Formats: sequence, structure tokens, C-alpha cells
Amino acid sequence: MKLLTANRLTDGLVLWYAGGPDLSGWNEDAALATRLEDEAAAALLEDWKARETEVVAPYLVPLLDENTLVKREYVREHVRANGPTAGQTAFDTARQHQRGEVF
Amino acid sequence: MYQYDQFDHAMVAARNAEFKDQVERRLKGELSEDQFKPLRLMNGLYLQLHAYMLRIAVPYGVLSSRQMRTFAHIARTYDRDFGHFTTRQNIQFNWIKLADTPQILEDLAAVEMHAIQTSGNCIRNTTTDQFAGAARDEIDDPRPWAELIRQWSTFHPEFTFLPRKFKIAITGATRDRAAIRVHDIGLQLTDKGFDVYVGGGMGRTPHLGHLIKSGLPGEKLLSYLEAALRVYNRYGRRDNIYKARIKILVSALGPQEYARQVEEEWATLDQAQIDAPHAEIARIKSFFPQPAYADKAFDAAALDRAKAADAGFARWVRNNTLAHRRDDHVSVTISLKPTGLPPGDASSAQMDVMADAADRFGYGELRVSHEQNIILPHVAKADLYDLYRLLDQNGLSSANVGKITDMIACPGLDYCSLANARSIPLAQDISQRFADAELTDKIGDLQIKISGCINACGHHHVGHIGILGVDKQGEEFYQILLGGRADEQAALGVITGKGLSAEAVPAALERLIKLYLDLRTDETERFIDTVGRLGRDAFAGALHEPA
Repeated sequence: MKLLTANRLTDGLVLWYAGGPDLSGWNEDAALATRLEDEAAAALLEDWKARETEVVAPYLVPLLDENTLVKREYVREHVRANGPTAGQTAFDTARQHQRGEVF
Repeated sequence: MYQYDQFDHAMVAARNAEFKDQVERRLKGELSEDQFKPLRLMNGLYLQLHAYMLRIAVPYGVLSSRQMRTFAHIARTYDRDFGHFTTRQNIQFNWIKLADTPQILEDLAAVEMHAIQTSGNCIRNTTTDQFAGAARDEIDDPRPWAELIRQWSTFHPEFTFLPRKFKIAITGATRDRAAIRVHDIGLQLTDKGFDVYVGGGMGRTPHLGHLIKSGLPGEKLLSYLEAALRVYNRYGRRDNIYKARIKILVSALGPQEYARQVEEEWATLDQAQIDAPHAEIARIKSFFPQPAYADKAFDAAALDRAKAADAGFARWVRNNTLAHRRDDHVSVTISLKPTGLPPGDASSAQMDVMADAADRFGYGELRVSHEQNIILPHVAKADLYDLYRLLDQNGLSSANVGKITDMIACPGLDYCSLANARSIPLAQDISQRFADAELTDKIGDLQIKISGCINACGHHHVGHIGILGVDKQGEEFYQILLGGRADEQAALGVITGKGLSAEAVPAALERLIKLYLDLRTDETERFIDTVGRLGRDAFAGALHEPA
């Protein structure tokens, strides 16, 4: 199981693929990311790699199960999904979406 | 400070117009990301973990109050209301929109600033002593020479695509506050000219620079640097990014052979075409006069009374001021290391306050130090208490300069896409653990430097205590290095003991410090000196919980 993530070209913010054929299907909230089967994820990644006017640097994040990141990816993806863990913008992303930490 | 001439203005304006066009073409899809990435990096724009990050050059760390207010404006208007001062005397903004960058660069150009050559395999911002032109122990002011190097190295056609990035540091004082021995080229100004050190650096394979030339006359500086860069550009390794820095070349050739090749190359150059004429050096020096010092009556007894009445002020004067070349002035360091906040961060409001402080008390001038603090280089002693109160009202009066809580830390995995581990939360935990002012004063001078990966932006190799974050299959661990120092007795720290979890580090440091306090000969023996006297092994056991 995998998540598809990237940065939006115009502002660089982290996006998560949440279904649909165009950029409106992506969401800044990792909690809403679509859990993808491996084959579908690989196909979507190839599709979005070519759509460079919308997203930058797309890649797949492996999951152990629906809500658990693979340990190797944990810190990095936890930070990307929830915001920096310290300082003025601590957990900014989670707060903007009025939720607790995901993953 | 230096002011742009028509050529500087024209060059920056042309580059900004070019980049604006590149951004527009990228947004329209006329440039691919592969095509655009090197272009944005040439203009200091990175894509980091959360967003685009813009790194702005602060030439040799010198800022006017007007420039600091522009940083505040950028933080407020285009970012999330704060900026991060870096270990290379620059500033970074972490939440920049690509579409905003042309306007940001225009705002910067209006105050004679830019982000050119803050990335890429070129000559980066030359760094220097944050107390240049003010320090009592200064032999010669390094700023005009740093400006000369800035002009020579900006858009230098031969050195735009070096094997790897290239960093030059200069100090003009007896005490090295610019860490010259861990730069690609380190320049020590002496009364006989420049001593030139080459091949220093940190990162994956740390090296201290080697002295390859003594007494180089200032008027020959540029041609000698050109020769040194040419040899590196010709023979530096381009096949392996990890072996591409000049330190690897110097190590492989040996410093003597490298120096011989530089001399040989230097002899072939048309030096008169490269070196700045005396008149040009004099012109640049004319931009760095001493300020028109205010003739303020200084009442030493009044200062003593203020210190007696306000212990916080007394501590701040003791820790945050440095002897000035004039008896009635001091240099003041504004610590950006308050307890529990990220080292080097400042809000837009704080930037405005620091600009106001510079205008009211510091002749409009500020400096950024590689230790991630802000300096007012010239402050009349008569103004010290008023300055302190202004800073204190705005969360800027931390009296910890040079102490255990005055840590260097890179942004780490909270922001940086290269990092393996977080630096900021660990720095916060340590600063909270040692928040007691009496304890930190008792410990005395001690430099902790934290990097979130082997690239060593947090200078962990030269911390008295260095901390390196590593990733062990998804878990953050921290290796402790002891015995490093970046001053005129530069030394590389050595990994001591096993890696620790983030939670274990503050307690380990507490045990380490307790042992140091027990072992030091007296309160004048600093931590680094005790480690030097007894050896690291005497301290290794303290890093781990007793079995």
C-alpha cells in the first residue's frame, strides 16, 4: 500500500493524491490521502511525473497498513504530513487542517 | 558599508529580469523542472521539505537597518512571519511561493541585496569576523577584502561551474572568529599580508586547511586566488560528488604539491589584468570608514549602579558585549538563542526591533554571525541600558553568548530535504535542560554545534561538543563528538561513545558537564581545555548511563 505525494509547482506546498484526474483531486491534508495499491500507485506516479506544470517531484510513500508509515520513512513523512515539529510553525500543517497528527 | 555602483545595480536588475522570465516560462510549462532547477538554484531558490526556501546572501554578514527591515517585510508578506539566520551569515525563508520570487528579488534589489550564488557549484558568500572594523584585537579590517572578493567572484565566468561549491572566509583579528581553517580557502590578515590556508572543510570528510602561502600582499590577492581556483577547477574530481571538494584534491596531491602547482599557475597569469589597482582597493576601502562616533559622556558609576540593580542586565553586559577599539564603545551580540526556540530564528517584529536598535544605538549597522546571532558592532557604553531594555521587551535579551545554550543548529529534518535527523527539537531540549542562568555561567564558555546530517551545516565537527544526527532505519540517533574547535587553534572533534537517542542526549550532556565541573582545575579552565588536558577518553564514560 502506498501514498502518492508531491509539491505543488506554484507554491511548493506538500500535496497528497486524493483521487481524481486533475490537480483538484490532490489535497494539502495528508489525512485525506488515498491509500493506493502498489500497481495503481506506480501507474499514477508515472502519469503525474509528466504533469510538471502542476506538481514537482512526485514520489510514493510506502505504508505498512492504512495508517502506519514504513519505519524507514517515518520521521521525514511524519514531518511533511504534520509540519515542522518545533519552532514558530510547529505542527502548522496539522493545525491548518484542524486535526491532530497523522501517521 | 559598500554601496552598489551603476554596474552592481545593472547586473542585479538584469539577473532579476532574467529570472522573472524563467519563472514565467516554468509556470507556463515552457521549461521543464529539469531545465528550471539549476536556474532557480542559481538564484538561491531550493525546494525543501515543506515548500520553496529562498536563501539570501548577506555579503560577509554586514547588514544595514534598512536591509534588516526588508527581511522583516519579506517574512511578513511572503513567508510565515519569521526567517532563519544561517551558519554562513545568510538568511533563509522557508515558505516562499515560486510565483512571488520575482517580486521578492525586486524588493531585495531595492536595498542592494540578492540571492545570487547562494547555491550551486560556484564561489559562495565570503564570510568574515562579525566584529570586523570594531574588535579591539583586529590587525586589519577584512571587509574591504571580502568586498573585493565578492566583486571578483560574482558571475566569474571561469568559476560558475566548479567541481563543487566553494567557500572563502577571512579574518583580520588575532582571534579567529570566522572559522577560516574549515573553509575551502581561509585567509588570515596579518601585518605582513595574507596567510592563505587551503583545503579545509567539514561535511563527510572533514579536513583542516593547510597553510600554503604566507605574507601574500593584498594587491596580489585576486590573482593568487584565481590561480588557486584554476588548479582546483582543472583537477578537482567531477566524477564523484563526495570527492569533489578542494579538500580532497589538496589531500590527494599533498599541500606542498598543490601549492607548487598554484605558484606555477600564478606565474603564467597576467596578474596586472586580474589584480585590483591600488586606486580600486582604496575606493572599496573608502566604503568602510569608522562611524561618526557620538561623543556621549560615559558614566561608569551609573553603569555599575544599573548592573547592581538589575542582575539580568549585569549578566547580559558580561556575556553579550565585546571590547571595542574605542574605550567608550562595545560590540553587542543579540542572541537568537532564547530558551526553547530554534537557534537563529527571528520573527518579523524582532527584525524590526533589531533594525530600530541599530538606528537608535548602533549607527544603523548590524552583522550576522556564523554562530547565528545578530551583532550591533558599535554601541556607546552610555546607551547600553536603554538598548538592553528595548531588547528585553522584545524577547531579544538572552544573555548566553558563548555559553552552552548558544548553540549552532542547522534546520535539520524539520525543514531540510537532505537531513537525516532533526536538529531543532534537540537544541530546544538542551537549552531547556541548561536554562538555569547561574549554571550556564558556572559552566563558562562552551560551544555545542548540531548537524542533522553529514553535510555538517551545523558545524558539528568543530563544536567543543558536536552532535551529528543520523538515521538508523527510520530512527533518529545522535553521535557525540568531543574536542572540536573552530578558532585559531582549530581542531576536529572525534566521535566519542555510541550513538544516543534524542531523549538520551540532554541527560548525557548533563553527566558530561557535571564531570567537567568536577575535573576542571578551576573556573578559568574551559571545557575544551579540560578535554584537551585529560583527553576525550576521560569523558567517554559519562555519555552513557551507568550500567
